[in-house]
Order: sequence, then structure tokens, then C-alpha cells
Amino acid sequence: MAETDNHKKTGDPNNYFPVNKSYIKRKKIYNRIAYGFAASAFILGAFPVFHIIYSALIIGYKYLNWRFVSTLPTGFPIGAKGGILNAIVGDLYLVVIASCLAVPLGIGSGLYLSLFGKQRTNSVIRLLNELMIGIPSVVWGIMGFYIFSTNAGLGFHFGFSALAGGLTLGFIMTPIVTLLTEQAVHRIPASYIEGALAMGATKWQATKSVIVKAAMGGIFTAVLLGVLNIIGQTAPLLFTNYYNTGLPTGITGPGGAVGDIAMLIFIYIHEPSHILHYKAETAVVVLLFFVFALDIGMRLISWLTVKIFEMF
Amino acid sequence: MTDINKNNIDNITENNKDEIKIEVKNLNFNYGDYHLLKDINLFFKKNSVCTILGPSGCGKSSFLRTLNRMNDYTEGSKLTGEVLLDGKNIYSKSVDVVELRRNVGMVFQSPNPFPKTIFENVAFGLKIHGIKNKQFIEERVEKCLKYAGLFDEVKDKLHKNAFSLSGGQQQRLCIARAIATNPSVLLMDEPTAYLDPAATATILDLIADFKKFYTIIIVSHNIQQAGRISDYSGFFLDGELIEFSKSGDFFTRPKDKRTENFITNRF
Ligand SMILES: Nc1ncnc2c1ncn2[C@@H]1O[C@H](COP(=O)(O)OP(=O)(O)OP(=O)(O)O)[C@@H](O)[C@H]1O
Ligand SMILES: [Mg+2]
Repeated sequence: MAETDNHKKTGDPNNYFPVNKSYIKRKKIYNRIAYGFAASAFILGAFPVFHIIYSALIIGYKYLNWRFVSTLPTGFPIGAKGGILNAIVGDLYLVVIASCLAVPLGIGSGLYLSLFGKQRTNSVIRLLNELMIGIPSVVWGIMGFYIFSTNAGLGFHFGFSALAGGLTLGFIMTPIVTLLTEQAVHRIPASYIEGALAMGATKWQATKSVIVKAAMGGIFTAVLLGVLNIIGQTAPLLFTNYYNTGLPTGITGPGGAVGDIAMLIFIYIHEPSHILHYKAETAVVVLLFFVFALDIGMRLISWLTVKIFEMF
Repeated sequence: MTDINKNNIDNITENNKDEIKIEVKNLNFNYGDYHLLKDINLFFKKNSVCTILGPSGCGKSSFLRTLNRMNDYTEGSKLTGEVLLDGKNIYSKSVDVVELRRNVGMVFQSPNPFPKTIFENVAFGLKIHGIKNKQFIEERVEKCLKYAGLFDEVKDKLHKNAFSLSGGQQQRLCIARAIATNPSVLLMDEPTAYLDPAATATILDLIADFKKFYTIIIVSHNIQQAGRISDYSGFFLDGELIEFSKSGDFFTRPKDKRTENFITNRF
């Protein structure tokens, strides 16, 4: 009360500053309500994550040892003995193949969109890109099957293989990398590129030596989120790679299919075997660990690259 | 408008043509349908300082950017007329924009060093033009930092990030960067807008000194400043050049009432 009357003693006495006391009370309450909403939204959002980690650990800890990640599945039903090495190696294949397609294509289109193209064409490309992100992954799977795996499509005869699966995942990853790269470049102050152009740099020189370096952290995040997204995919693999309980002997044709942790979880859960159900939970822990390690690793690499690039 | 413009052209014919570095003829500039710069005619003499004055939004920055074709990248912009640099129209097809911008350096309103080391910020202008000789680059970087009055302050941390410098130091770094490509013209868009009086004074002294080497065109909001350092002054209002003359005449005997109002209001 006394506080809100203070204005009468300060400033120009003729210049009355009307204070709406009830509004002041209300705005404090609104503030608390907003805070409460934010906090409960966070708890609601974070709960499933912690629940997944907790339940996976509780059930899966039994099999969590070095052998689990270093041996191939054996026994009957297959996987009852041994580990998930096939799936770990397979994920490596898939991520590398998908990245070979999506990283250059995604970063390239992201840079093009943010720096080169004309406004009208760009908005069309951007719309297409967002549409692509919205396409269900099962549709990508069917498309990948048609294009890469069958003999009917565009003449690739990759069969059910790492190459067919990886490229299909690459198509899912590309628009994500494109979108996030574009946003990363957008966050760079326009004055950087103007500064470079004003000194006679070509657009490409400005992009390569100023923009890409400044946006490096954001571009790494783009690739990271793309990789994390495809690591969790199963639907596209159903049609293009399916699953291999052993190690691949190539990347196409017979023997070209690979294992995959997400597919392994999906398959094990459908088997009428408690051991496999437990092992699926162990695989969840391993998958989460890889996601975590990838995240930390990428941040480290991105931090190091930014540090190193600053010197040139 | 036309009176003043005729005067300008008369001035030019009176003067020795050789001394003219840049001549702007019937320049019109549009942002889409918005006709901003209207029939601008003026000239800049070699090794002189010219200040462009005018209220906010009158087109000073846009005008400056027509002189090194930075407006090329603004979508929907349209330009007619001529800008003659050493007698050659910079908008003619045969002009190499890269070489033009090497020759016409620019310093921006707010310091915009690259996220690189102090050394690399200055070396950038050399490297993009294909200079690889390490010794040459090192010597030139040192020389430019000295010209910009920054070398003593940074000589022990040339390989630290440019963002570790203060605002005034960053702006001087940008000046060093702009002169690294050995331009003959320097465009400065309110180079002291965000700086304190001490940093401003340092940069104004630099500008006065730089006349020896460069033709300097500077946009300013500060009338005292303009009077102190410039040989010529121009007053823009709503995209028109209202008055352009020697600074002595400009500040003591403005021909146009609007110029007088602008000057007196601010003094
Ligand atoms: N890219 C653009 N597209 C459309 N209009 C623009 C653009 N840039 C500037 N303008 C308009 O042109 C006019 C002049 O802008 P300009 O930046 O040249 O003014 P200024 O004289 O430099 O002002 P200040 O002193 O505030 O910097 C303004 O009305 C502005 O809204
Ligand atoms: Mg301006």
C-alpha cells in the first residue's frame, strides 16, 4: 500500500502517475500462474524420459555387460544367448550411409536457401522441405522399397540391404538437416556477410570462410538431430533392409542387410520369450547410451572445431 | 532540387576534372515501388573528407551503399543514373564488382568484426584476393593495425578472438580491415555511432589523418563532428540532396532554409 503511494512524493507533483493497485496485484498472480504452467509442462514432458530410463534399467540391467555389446546373437529363439553386436554394427552402417547422402545435401541446400536463392523460389523449396519432414516414415519406407529394393523402380537392385535402408533413412534425414542448417545460418548476424562482401569477397568466399565457421555449432546440431532422428526409425527399414542376425557381407544384395537396434527392440518385443523381452529393454539402455554419447561427442567435436577454426 | 543540382554540376566544371574521384549523376534509387533517392548529383574530390548529413530515414545509408554496389543484394531494388569512379561508371556491365569493392572500402555503423582472430580479421581481405605470401600478409596486417592506431594495444594478442576487444577497438579493427585491401575510397556509415567520446575522438583523428591516402565519405549524425573533420558536406532530406558545398560555406552560409534549420536545431 505505502509502496504504491510513493509516486506522490517523487518527480513532478503535478504530473500524476495513475497506479492501478488491483492490476499490480493481478499481474503478480498471472506471473505465478505462468510460472506454474511452465514448471508443470516441464515435469510432464520430462517424466516419460525418466520413466523410460528407469524401467529399462530395472528390467534390462541383468544382461547389461560387455558381452552384450560385443557378441552376436545366438541360441533359440535367436538372441536368447549372446548379445546385439549385429545391431550395433548395423546402426553404424546405416548412419554412415544415410549421412553420406544427407549431410552434403542437407547442408548444401540449407546454405543455398539462406544465402543464394531468390525469395520466391526459396519459399517454394522451404514449403516442400517442410512437407517432406511431415511425410510419415512408413511412406518413406515404401518409396525406398520401390526405388532401391525392387527391380521395378529406377533400376537400382539393392535388395533388402544396408544401402537401400541407409539411403531411405538419408531421405528422411536430409530435410531435417536442411531446415536446421538454414536456421543456424539465419542466426548469424547479417553484418558478417555484409562485412565480407564489402571487402570484395564473393558470396562463396563469404559463405565458406565466415558464415560456415560462425554457424558451425548450429550445423553440427543439425547433423546431430538428423542422426538421432534416424537412429530411432524402424518403419522405413521394414521395407528396405529388415534385419540381419549376423554381420553383413556387403552393403547390397543378399548378405547386404544389417541389424539395427530399433528393429531389434521391435522384433524381440514381438517374440513369445521372456528372455528376449528383457534383452529388448537392455537394448533400450544401450540405444539411450549411444544417443547420449553421440550428443556429448558431437558437442565436443563442434566445440573443438569452432575453437580450431577461430585460428584461421 | 534542380537549382542545387545545377550548382553542383557547375562546381564540377569549374574544378579541375582530374581531382574528382567519384561523380554521381542523376542517381535514382528504388526499394521496390518506394522511390527513395531522387535525382542525386554530386561529386567527391580526391583526398577529401565529405560528410553526409540528414535526419534518420532520409536515405544516407542507402546512398552510401550505392557507391560500392552493396545494394546489388537487396531484392527488388532498382537504380538508374551513373556513379563514375575515376571516370568509369561502376554500374556498367564490364565492371568487376570484386575489384570495385576492393577499391572502395566500407566501415559499418556498428563494429562487425568476423568471429576470427584479430590477425585473421585483417588478413581476410588479402586472402580473398588470392594473396598467399605469409611474410607479405604479416607485414601488411601490422601496417594496417598501426594505421588504425590499434597495433600497440593488440600486438601481444593478435591470435586472440576479435570479440575480446572493446567496442572502440573493434571499430578500429574494422577500419584496419577495410584499408588492408589498399582501397582508394573509404565509405563510413556512422562509424562512431556506438562509441564513447574518447573512442570517437580517436577515430576522428584517424579520419583526418587518412585524407592523405583515401577519399573519405562519412555518414554522420553529429554536426560538430562533421564541421570539424570534413572538407565537403551534403544534406539529405527525404531522399533528396538539398545542399552540397564546402563545409565552411555549408555551416556558416547555408543556401537552403531547410539546411539552416537542420544545422541550427542540432547545434
Ligand atoms: N532493404 C530495404 N527495403 C526496403 N526499404 C528500405 C530498405 N532499407 C532501407 N529502407 C527504407 O529506406 C529509407 C532510408 O533508409 P536508410 O537506411 O538509407 O536511412 P538513413 O538515412 O541511413 O537513416 P539512419 O540515419 O536512421 O541510419 C527508410 O525509410 C527505410 O525504411
Ligand atoms: Mg543509416
